[in-house]
Amino acid sequence: MEEAWLIPAMPAAAFVILLLVGNYLPRSGDWLAIGAIAASFILFFFVLADLLDNMVGTEFDKALGQSGIDWVSFGDFELRLGFQVDQLAIVMLAVVTFITLMVLVYSTGYMKGDPRYGWYFAAMSLFVAAMLTLVLADNFLLLYAAWEGVGFGSYLLIGFWHERRSATEAAKKAFITTRIGDVGLLIGIILLWREAGTFDISEIFEFAEAGGYSTAYLTTAVLFLFAGAVGKSAQFPLHVWLPDAMEGPTPVSALIHAATMVVAGVYLVARLMPLFVVADPIALNVVTAVGLTTVMMSATMGLVATDIKRVIAYSTINSLGLMMVALGSLSVSAAMLYLFAHGFFKALLFLSAGSVIHATERQEVSELGGLARRMPVTAAAFAVGALSMAGIVPLAGFWAKDEILNVAGDGQNFVVYGLLMLSVFITALYMTRVVILTFLGEPRDREAHQHAHDAEPVMTLPLLLLAGLTILAGIVVFDGVGEAVGFPGGIGEFVFLEGPEAFHFPWDVAVLSTLSAVAGLAGGFYFWSGEAEPARRAGELFRPAYEILKRKFFMDDIYQWAIDRVVLVAGGMIAWFDRNVVNDTGVDGSARLGVFAGFGMKFLETGKLPNYALAIVTGVIVLAIVFMAVRA
Amino acid sequence: MDWVLFALIAIPVGAVILFMLIPSRYPQLVRNVAVVSAFALFVLSVLVFVKYEFEGGNGLRFDLQLDWLENVAFLGENGITYHLAVDGISAPMVLLTGIVIFAGVFISWNIDYRNKDYFVLLFLLVSGVFGVFLSLDLFFLFFFYEVAVLPMYLLIAVWGTSSEFGTFTRTKEYGAMKLVLYLVGGSALIFIGIFATFVEAGLGTFDLIGENSLNSIAYDENFQKAVFPLFALGFGILAGLWPFHTWSPDGHVAAPTAVSMLHAGVLMKLGAFGILRVAITLFPEGAEFWAPVLMTLGVTGALYGAVSAMAQRDLKYMVGYSSVSHMGFVLMGLATLTTIGVNGAVLQMFAHGVMTALMFAMVGAVYDQAHVRDMTLFGGLVQKTPRLAAFFAIAGLSSLGLPGLAGFVAEFHIFVGTFRAGYEWAGVLGIVAAAITATYILRMLAMAFFGPFNERWAGLKEMRRGEQFGGALLIVFIVFMGVWPAPFIDRISESVEFILRV
Repeated sequence: MEEAWLIPAMPAAAFVILLLVGNYLPRSGDWLAIGAIAASFILFFFVLADLLDNMVGTEFDKALGQSGIDWVSFGDFELRLGFQVDQLAIVMLAVVTFITLMVLVYSTGYMKGDPRYGWYFAAMSLFVAAMLTLVLADNFLLLYAAWEGVGFGSYLLIGFWHERRSATEAAKKAFITTRIGDVGLLIGIILLWREAGTFDISEIFEFAEAGGYSTAYLTTAVLFLFAGAVGKSAQFPLHVWLPDAMEGPTPVSALIHAATMVVAGVYLVARLMPLFVVADPIALNVVTAVGLTTVMMSATMGLVATDIKRVIAYSTINSLGLMMVALGSLSVSAAMLYLFAHGFFKALLFLSAGSVIHATERQEVSELGGLARRMPVTAAAFAVGALSMAGIVPLAGFWAKDEILNVAGDGQNFVVYGLLMLSVFITALYMTRVVILTFLGEPRDREAHQHAHDAEPVMTLPLLLLAGLTILAGIVVFDGVGEAVGFPGGIGEFVFLEGPEAFHFPWDVAVLSTLSAVAGLAGGFYFWSGEAEPARRAGELFRPAYEILKRKFFMDDIYQWAIDRVVLVAGGMIAWFDRNVVNDTGVDGSARLGVFAGFGMKFLETGKLPNYALAIVTGVIVLAIVFMAVRA
Repeated sequence: MDWVLFALIAIPVGAVILFMLIPSRYPQLVRNVAVVSAFALFVLSVLVFVKYEFEGGNGLRFDLQLDWLENVAFLGENGITYHLAVDGISAPMVLLTGIVIFAGVFISWNIDYRNKDYFVLLFLLVSGVFGVFLSLDLFFLFFFYEVAVLPMYLLIAVWGTSSEFGTFTRTKEYGAMKLVLYLVGGSALIFIGIFATFVEAGLGTFDLIGENSLNSIAYDENFQKAVFPLFALGFGILAGLWPFHTWSPDGHVAAPTAVSMLHAGVLMKLGAFGILRVAITLFPEGAEFWAPVLMTLGVTGALYGAVSAMAQRDLKYMVGYSSVSHMGFVLMGLATLTTIGVNGAVLQMFAHGVMTALMFAMVGAVYDQAHVRDMTLFGGLVQKTPRLAAFFAIAGLSSLGLPGLAGFVAEFHIFVGTFRAGYEWAGVLGIVAAAITATYILRMLAMAFFGPFNERWAGLKEMRRGEQFGGALLIVFIVFMGVWPAPFIDRISESVEFILRV
């Protein structure tokens, strides 16, 4: 596994080459970026085989997976850049390398003719290199660096069409919002370091398990770290950047804002689960509460969003919330299974939406409709993704969602369980809505409809592959399947860090969730098929609720108000204070005091001898009196 | 190799003399001499940095001592020596100066008005800067300090620009005057401090480090407490210590581009360097006593500068306030008095030096063509000037602490240092200030360089080749330090440990 560093190094090298000489390469070097990630994908299998060889039962000697170099060291301070392969990392590697490969192949069609075609592939390579580094990092320093790196890649790609004011603003918003979370992340990392004296993640685990941190201290640190995850994984209250991030090219949304970067927060919490276990349970409760709030808010906002990409963006936030709920219930394997399945079906949804946008140049559902006849492959792919998201058996989303419902309901926490069931219903409802409004019914924009057709093979092939995986990926929950491909004890045990934990399949949860999902589907057809009359009436009946959802719970308005009225006003006040008080009063004032004093003093210089004589005599007398007073 | 250090000061002085001898009707000859001597300085400073190794003891290398004034009654037998040497802290500072002046000459290529006089003053200033970094005799350190500061007045007052800002005006004379008065005020405090130390030590020497020198004895604790603030404040003013920072943004706004680069890139470092080389080296107990105050002022400056920068529309004011903010980080690092924090401070001095020089160079490149600096008047400039935008963005990203660029390495050490030294609150506020940096940098990039193209700037051209070269040179070092900081840290850390006596 010493060669694991090559996996991120491939796209990193591609980035450097594309940046320096990309313009001189044929096809702007898109083949180089694709070749690099394909090489990473192949390397992944070697690393996986290596990992499985080193497994003893379901245990794995972590030290074997580590490799790295000293970056900085002096005194007792040491910064290493190290890579580590373990079960968690391998799942992420699979998702990231495969989906990136699909997305980049798709992009050769989607981005064709763009004036910055080469730069697109360079930026994608940079992003992937950072993402893979994040996955493999064995210490907090490298993790943080990669964490910021993916954020920067996301900034570049959201703002890819920077001629559009909205894209520029969205990129800025995404970077700054996640940066707010990163303040917490950095503080948390330094807090953990201060007691343990190391940035190495597994050494910190050992330190924590040995009781090195006091519970309150560790809980504080872990909650700071969680702030970083909240920002990156678009959890409430920092979720506002993700819908706006849809300004980027659609393949970017598929890769960064669905399958990879946004799950980094989930991955972080999963990786740090040993710390959450040692910390006060309140930390995990916070994770659950944040996740659940995110699920409910995003699901309901998804009901009224009218931009096809934004609907999928809300569904992504919804999914991320679900993963957080799973983590809050201590189930890393449920979260990672969902992450794995989600990668496929969400990328599928985005890429098929991308095909729609590519074909019609429209993305408001009010201008789409009836596209199934024109683009059958795309429609079928999108439907598979939507059904998977809705949790219909036997698609991947079903198994993953069921596992989360199962672990979250396990603690007899009926509030969590009930709300999650409700969210299953709402999810099915809005996914049906977007399918109907886009692909069924009568076309609302004739002209766009007439020119629409399925895209070229480089774009449909990734769709078909992802659709196939969406249909099949769920079977990994069966231990027999996992064992057959060489995972000891199936995938469930393989992923879980703390020892064996197989997947469960209680029928009551499965039946109940399927009923909710089917009810959602039926409800979707009832509300939105044909002229969507029932939906309109429902909107009028619950106008205040509709308005709240439409205004996104006023979150954007509140933040905008806070920026305009608090942050910028404070900035203006301090700048004013600096100019008028510190400078013009303090600095210039003292200068003017000198001028004024000089002006006043000059009147003492009269040039008349008697005045001077008087002053001398007065001085002598005063001094004499002082002298005598002191002596006496 | 002792000649290297001598040459670093002699070359700019020699260049100054050469400039004076060249008749002013040969401006191109002046430029050629400038570029050749700047290149020589660059090569020598790289040489000094590369060849420097700590090798134990006090870490001074390339030692050169020339007697200057000895056996004078009031000075005692040691007197004043022209003592030059580098340690692990001045080595990166020398490198920084070499880089910035080399880039600065290219940026100054198009100065037509009295370019001979301009280069005379610029190189005089540079000789002073090298002198401060290399002098180990307090007398010469102070002498060079003044040499570095005073040419600034003429450079700003003659070649600077006055600006109208709706509600107020800043003339170049005002900026120059304020800057020099402030810095001379600071030197007065330093001057007092030097004499107090000289008399208190009673060794008859101004030598700073070594046997029988000012740091070889332990000073009375009360004396340390009394004298430390004289140096800390005196040097601190030049380092943009809040609330004595207002000369800095106004000075930058008035100064010509290359002067801003040298000023923010190198000159402000002299202040922080002075605090470390004189105040902390000689008065450890005084430093410990005053550290909380220095930390508070540093954090205040970091936050205050960042928030003020956020409210600016003028590009130069924004960069100027960001300098106040980043120098606040330097002071925070110094105030930790831990190896990590002080290392971070020195790293930040270098990192801020290159990135802020790059930012000023790019502001200058825009201003030379557009003759305005209000970021709201631009828009979509990247479409006309992609390289300029990319360079500006790299400088900005470094300053907001993007890993892989110089700023991150430095800030990371500083924040870690504050936590280790027990100033958690300061560390947290510092991290917040770094996040605010992201807002004003991205806001500026979004306003000026991205978004729809403003047709008013249809005639804008890409940077000149010289500007591209200077910018690229700075970027090489920003990336180098960001990716592989070990060469810097190996040199810095041992000298810092020597100074902090750990």
